Amino acid sequence: MTIELREYFKSSKSASPLAVFRIGFGLMMLYSIMRFYFMGWIEKVYINPKFHFKYYGFEWIPDLGEFTYILFFICAITSIMITLGLKYKLSIILFFCSFTYIELLEKTVYLNHYYFISILSFLLIFLPLNAAFSFDNLISNTKETKVPSWTIDCLKLLLAIVYIYAGIAKINTDWLIEAMPLKLWLTSKYDLPIIGEYFMQQVWVHYLMSWGGMLYDLSIPFLLLFKRTRKFGFFMVVFFHAFTRVLFPIGVFPIVMIISSLIFFDEKFHTRVINFIKNSLFKFFQFKKREKLEVERKSTSKITIVIVLIFFVIQLIVPLRYNLYPGNIMWHEQGYRFSWRVMLMEKIGYSTFKIEQENGRYFYVKNEDHLTSYQEKQMSFQPDFILEYAHYLGEFYKKKGMDNIKVFADSFVSLNGRKSQRFVDPDINLLEIKDSFRNKEWILPLKNE
Amino acid sequence: MRKILSILTITIILSACGGGEEGYVGDGYDRGVLLTNITDNIIIPAYENFSTKLNDLENVVGLFSTQTDQPNLDLVEDKWFDAYKAWQHVEMFDINMAEDINYRKKINSYPCNTARIELNIMNGGYDFDDPNHYAAQGFPTLDYLINGLPNGISNYTGASGSMYLGYLQDVINDIKINTNNIKNEWVTNRNEFVGSIDNTATSSLNKLTNDFIFYYEKGMRANKIGIPVGIFSGSPLPQNVECYYYNLKTGNASKILLLEAFDAVEKMFNGISFNDNIKGEGWGNYLLYLNALSNGVDLDTDINETFSEALEAIENLDDDLMNNIITDELQVRSTYDKVQRGTVLLKTDMLGYLNIDVDYLDADGD
Repeated sequence: MTIELREYFKSSKSASPLAVFRIGFGLMMLYSIMRFYFMGWIEKVYINPKFHFKYYGFEWIPDLGEFTYILFFICAITSIMITLGLKYKLSIILFFCSFTYIELLEKTVYLNHYYFISILSFLLIFLPLNAAFSFDNLISNTKETKVPSWTIDCLKLLLAIVYIYAGIAKINTDWLIEAMPLKLWLTSKYDLPIIGEYFMQQVWVHYLMSWGGMLYDLSIPFLLLFKRTRKFGFFMVVFFHAFTRVLFPIGVFPIVMIISSLIFFDEKFHTRVINFIKNSLFKFFQFKKREKLEVERKSTSKITIVIVLIFFVIQLIVPLRYNLYPGNIMWHEQGYRFSWRVMLMEKIGYSTFKIEQENGRYFYVKNEDHLTSYQEKQMSFQPDFILEYAHYLGEFYKKKGMDNIKVFADSFVSLNGRKSQRFVDPDINLLEIKDSFRNKEWILPLKNE
Repeated sequence: MRKILSILTITIILSACGGGEEGYVGDGYDRGVLLTNITDNIIIPAYENFSTKLNDLENVVGLFSTQTDQPNLDLVEDKWFDAYKAWQHVEMFDINMAEDINYRKKINSYPCNTARIELNIMNGGYDFDDPNHYAAQGFPTLDYLINGLPNGISNYTGASGSMYLGYLQDVINDIKINTNNIKNEWVTNRNEFVGSIDNTATSSLNKLTNDFIFYYEKGMRANKIGIPVGIFSGSPLPQNVECYYYNLKTGNASKILLLEAFDAVEKMFNGISFNDNIKGEGWGNYLLYLNALSNGVDLDTDINETFSEALEAIENLDDDLMNNIITDELQVRSTYDKVQRGTVLLKTDMLGYLNIDVDYLDADGD
């Protein structure tokens, strides 16, 4: 076994898939950053709010105010450099740092695919994406046509983890037995041309799409892995993501998944793509072909392999951590993030906060005085947000000279079509609770499971 | 094999679940009918009624200006309160032109700013579209001018009487012009409005739903009960009740307006026509359709029951809301809590079922 493994880590493959992946990744990131800018989200999400929700353990991350634009600028520039394969190592490190910093600034806009980009760009630091067809080749006047097999395979593995965990997460009674939340979402798509009026209103369509989605997620990695089913698998990828793009506002996620899954194709395909780009470029710019010195990569350093292995162990464990908590994960959301749980719930909350003063008198906070409407929406149904906000309110009123206040949450949440029910124990002073990985006992259990 | 298996499973599940039995299932729901009912039978008649009441008010103010005496001021008082009641049925339609010109804030920001009003009367040159003057116009200001002036009728007959009278007429005139413009916009754009049934943040149906919920939460729950009883301040602010001066005089005005507003909310939710109380399509029926489709809870009944309980609590309040706040704050707070229950149902359960695009951030999901 160890010998086989050692052999595997020594084996090599054509570098072309990595080059294509690099170009695709760089361009998509550039598009994604530009989109964020042109939608005006930088201002709305990172600059306007008076208060930012931070991830547990990252509360210390300083807000940058107007300088957030610089972070986005670094992201955009490094995306271009990644596309070109120019100073690749430096670019991808800078990209990972700036992109992740942006994500850490505000928890409200957490999306699985932003997290995916963060961890993917971390992984890419250790992969030789500039081995071939890159500006770095021109600078050093060398190229590598072969790269270690594992550097390509680990990208496939990461995608497979995403799909399979997403599929497993769909195996729950809400999704399969009740066809929730698709039932709610699809019904509301009555305004889609052709399919909206009739199909989206049919109960069998809701079930078909719930089950289909689950089976799709679980089978896609295998369909893509085997040569015989690969083309069909890729067709399914394109179809599925195009379809979800029509139905739901999921931004750049579909493109990211479609482009990423190209990594499963063999080197012939990728060589053709590169030759196509090369030929068009050469025709356009009248470049002269330069012969580069062919070099072979020395075997990967042990440290790199260890880091990548640890990375994957973490990726395999993190989505399972919810098992440590009792109750319905969609309700208490402990272990929900970073676990590829996508599109699983329609959850709406309504949370107001009672500030009780020393003399026993109390008043309710107007959330709109402190939060943007989007922050309020997100805060209202997520326990860690509720706790963080309660502590913020505690600080806020202490600064106003109110000592020894207590903060109580009056919180109601409706999950996947269930009747709304009380979410947080209304008698618990949230200021006395510190966030931690321990089970949040102040969340009331979900009734009507 | 997997395919066959999955198709098999789906068939089994489907036959087991089989959808709801109520009539609506599967054949879609015509949201156009809902919008038509609400526009033709609630919104436009409510505006027409309000406009008529404003004309009546204007007429008696005309009378009052030619013969400035107490009996005519009493007439003004009557017609003003009638118009104030009619206003309770249009306040929630903060949509299109009404929203653009801040109609709601101009007409019903209370408590009014008496210092500003007196300054405006003495100095002239005010601009009612300036947000600084929102609390120096509209019904709360009329309340002060009709029921709250320190010297009563003498303010109108004294040395600066014409200035008071002029201000009274200006305020009414501004309300009237804006109301008629908005009413006409409704009539002109009726077809366009009724046809806009998409599920987007800017479609009529979504805006109307959002405004309805917003009104329930802010215009009614918070402004009429929550703020005066001190929900947001810790200690009660009884002087912040709606229609403060007239309430001092009659001892029941604030509660009458609150009941009127609550009636408007219930009718709107159930699609009950303004003029003849006929039930048509409203959110109630729409929810029946959606709940049947998803085998979910019967939200229509839930919400109506919650409304009834809240209404009962309101009816049980002292006729004098302000006095009730002073003498039995807890009772008013518990009434507030019952009204609040409705907010929860509307903002979580109903919005969840309608799955309406709300104008938060047009952010991505995943």
